Amino acid sequence: MILWAENIRKTYGDREILKGVSLSISKGELKVLIGPSGAGKSTLLQCLNFLVMPDAGDVWLEGHKIDRAKKSELYAIRQQVGMIFQDFNLFDHLTALENIKIGLIRVKGMDKKAATDRADAELERVGLKEHAKHYPAQLSGGQKQRVSIARALAMDPKVMLLDEPTSALDPELIGEVHAVIRDLVANGMTMIMATHQIGFSRAMANEIIFMENGLIVEQGEPRKIFSNAECERTREFCSKVTDLYGEV
Amino acid sequence: MEWFSFLRDEILPALLKGFRVSILLIVPSAVFGLCVGIVVGAARVYGNRFVAALANAFVTIFRGVPLVVQLFIWYFGLPYFGIYFSPFVASVLGFTLCSGAYQSEYIRGALLSIKKGQMLAAQALGFSRIQTIVSVIMPQALRRALPGSGNEIIYLIKYSSLAYMITCIELTGEAKILASHTFRYTEVFLAVGTVYLIIVSFASRILEYLENRFRIPGFER
Repeated sequence: MILWAENIRKTYGDREILKGVSLSISKGELKVLIGPSGAGKSTLLQCLNFLVMPDAGDVWLEGHKIDRAKKSELYAIRQQVGMIFQDFNLFDHLTALENIKIGLIRVKGMDKKAATDRADAELERVGLKEHAKHYPAQLSGGQKQRVSIARALAMDPKVMLLDEPTSALDPELIGEVHAVIRDLVANGMTMIMATHQIGFSRAMANEIIFMENGLIVEQGEPRKIFSNAECERTREFCSKVTDLYGEV
Repeated sequence: MEWFSFLRDEILPALLKGFRVSILLIVPSAVFGLCVGIVVGAARVYGNRFVAALANAFVTIFRGVPLVVQLFIWYFGLPYFGIYFSPFVASVLGFTLCSGAYQSEYIRGALLSIKKGQMLAAQALGFSRIQTIVSVIMPQALRRALPGSGNEIIYLIKYSSLAYMITCIELTGEAKILASHTFRYTEVFLAVGTVYLIIVSFASRILEYLENRFRIPGFER
């Protein structure tokens, strides 16, 4: 197992967002989190790299338990766990290339030449080499998300967390981001992805995790969850999103 | 023609001398003031409770007490405690702190306008909080603060005239001396007003250039 989280809890005010969630992922796996908005998918993902500090629970990365009291450990785990956001969060004042370089230079301490070469290579990998000098505001949503994936990949993450990477995109642009993710799966990247894209998840995921009200309701192979779920609520949710988001 | 020779022989030499002092007051005060504003503004937004409270107190004091009073304290007050500043140093100090208090407000507003996602994305890459603020948040916030910060600098150019109150004889000081010697207040102060107008216009052009220079492509008007 590469990443392993146990009994993650998080409360905002008097709202309990996560009520003790455990999950683990092995190398090369793609696990997909599904569930209604407010289920706690985003919060769970952000707890895994401590962007949100869980109230309770522990996270292990490659067998090492993260000591959340040590800032250096938090910076270290975040470097090794890439994160993709629904609304991209590219740095608006930097070009596509600079967005990728800045982490390499500031966090990894690479020199400028090496960082440029690496950033170039990552842009090429997501098919955006010719957009290197463009600023985020000059890119389409799909291009922005691909740059943000390239930015995460450049850090050589051991695991990638994708928080609804296509939810802010036009239907036409979803495909280009899915193509990049498919490519990552083929190259053995380990990923946990929250999404409503049932068709894509069914085709790509090793496991589907259905969450609701801060708990994992049911998890299993896509075939089982989508066609033959044990829990009534899972079946109800799946049939609704299938109606909305197309084929299963 | 008599007026012209007065302008040439009396007003211009005096104003030139004053102009030099004014520039020497304005430029460092503007630069240091902006630096103070950046640090204090960041402390107010990102500091822990103690640091933020300290920064807020700074702003309350230096924005709340009239600038003339501040200058009097630096120049006439501190000697009671054995601290002596030259009129020039006391002026620059007073302007810097006062301007910094105002600048921090523009910087704070700009910092608050940066979306939370920028901070999250940088931290997700492994940036420390300080690194994030310095290399991701601040470069964007400074661009947004520029119109307001520029406004404060324009204002500073004019309130730099208060330096003459603590015997740092700059433009206004020279003008006042010349006017009271010759009793030709109208001519002298028309001339000095024009000089301030020229300085302000020049500063506006520089600020406009900076705004264009640092405009992020894709965000053009």
